[in-house]
Amino acid sequence: MSRLPNQPRELINRDNVIRFTFDGKPVEAYEGDTIGSALFAAGRRTFSRSFKYHRRRGLLCCAGQCPNCIVAVDGAPGTRACTEPVREGMKVEHLNAQPGLDLDVMRATDLVGTKFTPPGFYYKTFIRPRKLWPVYEKVLRHAAGLGVLRKEQPDREWRTEYRRRHADVLVIGGGAAGRRAAAAAAEQGDDVVLVDEGPFPIDAIPGVEILARASALGFFDGIVPVWQGDTLHQIRARRHVFATGAIEQPLVFAGNDLPGVMLSGGAVRLTQLYAVRPGTRAVVVATSDRGLVAAATLQDAGVAIAAVADVRESLSAAARRLSERGIEVTPGHTILEAKGGKAVDSAVLGPVGVSGASVEKTFDCDLVVVSGGFVPAMSLLLQTGAQTRYDPARGCFVVDKLPPGVTAVGDVAGVDEDGADGDSAAAAIPPPVSGAGRGKCFACLCEDVTAKDIKLSVEEGYDSIELSKRYTTVTMGPCQGRMCQLPAIRLMAKETGQLLEEVGTTTARPPWVSVPMGVLAGRPFEPAKRSSIHGRHRELGGNIKWAGDWRRAYDYGDPQGEALAVHEAAGLIDVSTLGKLLVRGADAGEFLNRLYPNRFSDLRPGRIRYGVISSDAGRIVDDGTICRIDDETFYVTTTSSGAGAVEEWFSWWLADWRLRVRLTDLTQGLSAVNLAGPRARQILSTLTDLDCSPEAFKYLDGKHAKVAGVECLILRIGFVGEVGYEIHFAAAHGEHVWDALMEAGRDHGVRPFGLEPQRILRLQKMHILVGQDTDSESTPFGAAMPWIVKLDKEEDFIGKWALEHYAIEEPATRLVGFTLGNGYVPTEGSVILDGLGVPAGQVTSARFSPVLDRVIGMAWVPSPLARDGSQITISDEGRTTEAQIQTKPFYDPEGEVLRS
Amino acid sequence: MSIAFLSPATAGDTAVARSPMERTAKAAGARFENRDGWNVAVEYPGEDRVRETVGFTDVSHLRKLEIQGDEVPGELGEAKREGDAWICQLTPTRSLLLGGVHAVPPDAVDVTTCFAALTIFGPLAREVIARFCALDLRPQVAPPGSFRPGSIARQPGMILVQDTDRFLLLFGWAVGEYMWSVVDDAARSLDGGPVGSPPTENQ
Repeated sequence: MSRLPNQPRELINRDNVIRFTFDGKPVEAYEGDTIGSALFAAGRRTFSRSFKYHRRRGLLCCAGQCPNCIVAVDGAPGTRACTEPVREGMKVEHLNAQPGLDLDVMRATDLVGTKFTPPGFYYKTFIRPRKLWPVYEKVLRHAAGLGVLRKEQPDREWRTEYRRRHADVLVIGGGAAGRRAAAAAAEQGDDVVLVDEGPFPIDAIPGVEILARASALGFFDGIVPVWQGDTLHQIRARRHVFATGAIEQPLVFAGNDLPGVMLSGGAVRLTQLYAVRPGTRAVVVATSDRGLVAAATLQDAGVAIAAVADVRESLSAAARRLSERGIEVTPGHTILEAKGGKAVDSAVLGPVGVSGASVEKTFDCDLVVVSGGFVPAMSLLLQTGAQTRYDPARGCFVVDKLPPGVTAVGDVAGVDEDGADGDSAAAAIPPPVSGAGRGKCFACLCEDVTAKDIKLSVEEGYDSIELSKRYTTVTMGPCQGRMCQLPAIRLMAKETGQLLEEVGTTTARPPWVSVPMGVLAGRPFEPAKRSSIHGRHRELGGNIKWAGDWRRAYDYGDPQGEALAVHEAAGLIDVSTLGKLLVRGADAGEFLNRLYPNRFSDLRPGRIRYGVISSDAGRIVDDGTICRIDDETFYVTTTSSGAGAVEEWFSWWLADWRLRVRLTDLTQGLSAVNLAGPRARQILSTLTDLDCSPEAFKYLDGKHAKVAGVECLILRIGFVGEVGYEIHFAAAHGEHVWDALMEAGRDHGVRPFGLEPQRILRLQKMHILVGQDTDSESTPFGAAMPWIVKLDKEEDFIGKWALEHYAIEEPATRLVGFTLGNGYVPTEGSVILDGLGVPAGQVTSARFSPVLDRVIGMAWVPSPLARDGSQITISDEGRTTEAQIQTKPFYDPEGEVLRS
Repeated sequence: MSIAFLSPATAGDTAVARSPMERTAKAAGARFENRDGWNVAVEYPGEDRVRETVGFTDVSHLRKLEIQGDEVPGELGEAKREGDAWICQLTPTRSLLLGGVHAVPPDAVDVTTCFAALTIFGPLAREVIARFCALDLRPQVAPPGSFRPGSIARQPGMILVQDTDRFLLLFGWAVGEYMWSVVDDAARSLDGGPVGSPPTENQ
């Protein structure tokens, strides 16, 4: 056991023992321990195996910065043992080692395979034979990785809440500087949120909401997502204060990844916060006073100090204070190599920049404490648009310019929060690598990238830090560059001969911490519009599918039968999804005249007219009907999918033209059903006092009447070829009216019908579906609707200029109908071939018509072929078939049924 | 011809008006009463439990009138209380009149069934709304009487701050079932749930 007696700053509660398991074996810990501190106290030194070479890795930073202690907790991989508090009964398991952490067969990669595994080795070694790449890839992916996802789907799912939070000030970082900034802002009356990712609780600050154990993930145009357990806060603040501190850097030397090599901050945290002695005999190597201080802390904890080396050439005040304790500091020296098998057993020190047995000295030790200086933790800050510059005095990049509303305080701003004792000497810049040639010198612990790998990448042409990053994957691991960016930049400068400021930094990107994908996915929203009759459709066995953003009944199990019922008796379809606009005002008629190619100002109240909306370029963008309710009121319907766009289109032009018109979108407020078929009139008559006779209620009449006690607007129009009534009413009565019509029609054989039979029925009448039978090139002239364009209108209208051109130009293709006698239903989108076999058009719709007993369709065909009786050739995925053109509706071509 | 067909209030006695959330309310165990022609959920099992956390009530039956014209009163982002009604400004020339029983102003359009409505109330009301809406409803920013059009659970909607910790959400009638599922889910995660509509609720 390496547990120390009570330490003044310790966080553990020795009165409360927590029990958990690691790889199935019981471990005892104290409340307040982290998994890492408890395992270390229990004697564990190897915490993980490295990503590529499967080398042993032990505690390094004890601050959640490095990748060395990532474990799985209760089956979930990706947890850092050094910052995860212990919980009773938790099951902790190692990652990335088979069969076990202490014996990993993949270690062979390190022992014998190094020369075969340089950067990009998988693209070099496994490129041939190419067809085997999927096999190689599977093996490589299996061998690599940082854990295995839980197998059972329920175990892989959990709930993440999204919480939106507005604030005046967001402070990121709960250290001394962050707390001061938060308190100051709160005192001024600001609404302040402070976010801290540390494992320790933060003392309350009056007026400040503290999110503890919460990590800011990034900065997205002022929104900062903060991950806290099962919640993702989306914080929008007017001002952002970054107090993200500084990150202690490792040194690059041979064997720098051996268990027992620790950062000075890690060793101190382990000692002071968890009362765990990190070793018995230590070698300390530092570039600054902050690093040297660790030697005193360790000595106080009973650790023998074998040697202390300071990269700086002269002794600082801190070094002199160590001397007073009997610890001699050797200036101008650094570590060349850490030696050992399962863990460090000795360290080789030597003068900076000089090698050779005569100047080196080896010290037995089980702990090597290193400190390569501190760099500002700027990644989040840089995502705000902050700029950096290289500070040659500090040997690292520092914040230079900040965008408005962004402040940096404390270490990240270059203020030495911990070493502010007034006489701290400047830190030294360590050599990029020491002890090269003695063994692997790791620049990136996450991805097992060595100094040699960086050198190789430069030699192979990846001579910028961004290219090298992508080639070697340095900075792309779980530490997100915290530990490796600066070492990689220094190595890049060394290998290319550039200055560090010329090398520059890699782009800071979110996320700042490893985060489960489930947190980013959050809780899904899937908005669905449902008509007020939707419940009935479900009860009737409707085949419900998406139709745009609506859920609609495509059929009720028998689309052909439903279509036949409309011809033989009656059918009822829910058309509540249609766009519905109320256009009112003295200029309403003129407004519509300007929007549509045809004329509406002369439409009589109580009458309906079909309209096509065209774009500026004369292309069809939507269609629908317009009913004039009174002199100043029009009721406009649009397609279901075009409702939103048409409303926007109307609003846009209304704002521009400044006519005396008021527009109200009623789409969701009104239900609508279409009752159609030879019995429709009789059924409707039983529910209304309205005279529904053909003489009193003509085709294209609109009437206001009660149906089943509900005020309705009834439009006598037809989209399905039979006598039909489109009944519009307040959505709150959807089920009532539907039920009443179904009940009244029961003895008449009424059936509900869905979208699919409606498509058959409308195709029989050759009514176009905008977006299905038209595209962005379709004009009313090509779509066989020249009659709808009134070029002689008094007013200018949208698309007039273009339509005047199209009126005198023969379109290249025209929309026509076709029939097939062989029962084959071509795929919509099939190609129409011209006489030479060249594609010249396409099928837009095709169905089998039960009432006609043949296949019918619509297609764009070359204009010369757009004549009744012409033969066309349809090519459908290699199959060709002949079809015959028809230009008039297949069913009731003269509209006699419709008007009857 | 008239536009009376827009209004559910003109239906006869036999035609009961129904909220788009009626089925979900029924599934949650609601007891219903007919109030002025509307089938209103008035009680849920265990609803007293949620009053100390957060509750939500379907008030889709609330009368809503749209008023357009040059003389529309009001300020951006604010709603005015007039008797038992609220006047909510949408644009300089368009506002919504919510609730109240007085006569329909000339030229007003009844849009009662264009917007379904939920009130969310209780100490955790803001927390529930924050689960699906990014509008800033902090008391210092949105005091009672504030009116905030915006995105609610990725749908166009409006929020009226009726009182401290009491919010009226308006959204499209057709997304009623969806919105109920979103609010119900968020409320239950905070130990809240549906509450019946009190008899005094404005209509």
